[in-house]
Amino acid sequence: MSLTARGHLATALLLLPALLFIAVWFVTPLAQLFQLSVSDKAGPFAPYAQLLGSEVYRRVFVNTLWLALTVTAISILLAYPTAYVLTRLKGWWWTLAFYCVLFPFWISVLIRTFAWMLLLEKNGPINRVLLELGAIDRPLELLFNAGSVHIGMVHVLLPYAVLPIYAAMIRVDHRLLLASDGLGAAPLMTFLRIYLPLTMPGVTAAAVFVFLLALGFFITPALLGGVSAITVAMLIEQLVNERLVWSLAGAASFILLAVIFALLALAARFVPLGQALVAR
Amino acid sequence: MIVTRSLIHGLASAVLAFLVLPILAVLPASFNRASFIRLPPTEYSLRWYERFFQDREWLTSLATSTKVALLTALIALALGTAAAIGLERLRGRLRGVLTGLFLAPMIVPVVVTAVALYYVIRPMGLSGTVLGLALGHAVLALPFVIINVGVSLRTLDPALLRAADGLGASPARVFLTITLPIILPGLIGGAVFALITSFDELVVAIFLSGIQAKTLPVKIWEVIRLEFTPVVAVASTVLIAITVALFGAARTLGPRERSRP
Repeated sequence: MSLTARGHLATALLLLPALLFIAVWFVTPLAQLFQLSVSDKAGPFAPYAQLLGSEVYRRVFVNTLWLALTVTAISILLAYPTAYVLTRLKGWWWTLAFYCVLFPFWISVLIRTFAWMLLLEKNGPINRVLLELGAIDRPLELLFNAGSVHIGMVHVLLPYAVLPIYAAMIRVDHRLLLASDGLGAAPLMTFLRIYLPLTMPGVTAAAVFVFLLALGFFITPALLGGVSAITVAMLIEQLVNERLVWSLAGAASFILLAVIFALLALAARFVPLGQALVAR
Repeated sequence: MIVTRSLIHGLASAVLAFLVLPILAVLPASFNRASFIRLPPTEYSLRWYERFFQDREWLTSLATSTKVALLTALIALALGTAAAIGLERLRGRLRGVLTGLFLAPMIVPVVVTAVALYYVIRPMGLSGTVLGLALGHAVLALPFVIINVGVSLRTLDPALLRAADGLGASPARVFLTITLPIILPGLIGGAVFALITSFDELVVAIFLSGIQAKTLPVKIWEVIRLEFTPVVAVASTVLIAITVALFGAARTLGPRERSRP
């Protein structure tokens, strides 16, 4: 056997175990779920027609899209100035600020959501402070509504928005800003004409990630949201665990996946998403 | 100008506080003396810690989580390390396609992965077992191991490998004496990320836990939906402590370049 052939064989043997694992425990399950969703007795696309044809299910999809969109907008608006300040910090302050962004990443979403339940509760600290200040007469209903879902989801997704924007900002050549300044442009003009366009790829990558992750959210809306505003992920869980209609759950899963991959393919034409993903 | 700057700095500080402080609310809640959660507590006690560490069900869930996490890390580390080395040896289109395939579990919503896994694992009798849970968690942890090991592999100078090879070392010896020591930080980082992924994971666990193999997050999830007892805050604090300890280990032992992205 030649040396290159031996090299190729070794490479194949190194990759094979992980490939088999992903094939058996990830690709095959998804393929089987897909097969299930298109082999309904009522016709190949009956579950899809049922989901998209019903007013109730359609509202779940629209809710989820709208929720993901608003959460993304809020996250980007908060992440942009935060990432900017991160680029200006040095030494110990930089480390502290950066750990504030990274720390929540590794705390379970369940616990972060639970923390918000504690804070927003009827007898929780926020209500009590407002009562003591005399700002309100009786406790506000802060939990189980769109507001609490937004707070919880932005809290979980914000670090995903900060990091790509930060990565784009540190690549900006500051001499360009000085040049613009020296040529007499107002700070706002320098920001709008130079800084914002240069950092836009980071913003786009951040928005795509946050939006895609938000589309699949389950734990936070399930715990912080009301019963009326369920997300697609919650619908899928209910269809499987409570109503045992697997074909509908499969169809809902693949509609969600189709949206995600369509968006990803679209976004990949504008920003190198791979880099941003690994930079996580 | 100065007003704008202090506004931006004020907003950023508020955002950073918003990211960290709410998580810390769980800690005082766990030291409540009352049988309901009051924040901040009027009286402090370790009562609910005693309850947690004497309760069979909580302890069993902690043990299950530990077993699942260790098995997950073992599977993900063995497969991920080999795959990362294999990917590094590939060039061109195939490398991109395979990397995409390995990272796909990060993109597919976890609930979809969970339902699909549940669908194939249930008829095999693997639902409600530590093995079934670990297989599911390893799917989610594999990308982290591949990324971590991949980063540290890029610090490996191929000339070293050729030199060792030219001097007559066997491939096994080259791996053990050159590759392994250089990628060790990446391995440790990957292992820690796999452990944390498994310890923290809830969605796959909800589907695969069954009645026999409830992990700590599944137990917390079930109790939270029924009542607001300080023992959940204790369980959450235990989970935070495990994560922070592992996170600390990853930061001290993990690949250096990760600390400054």
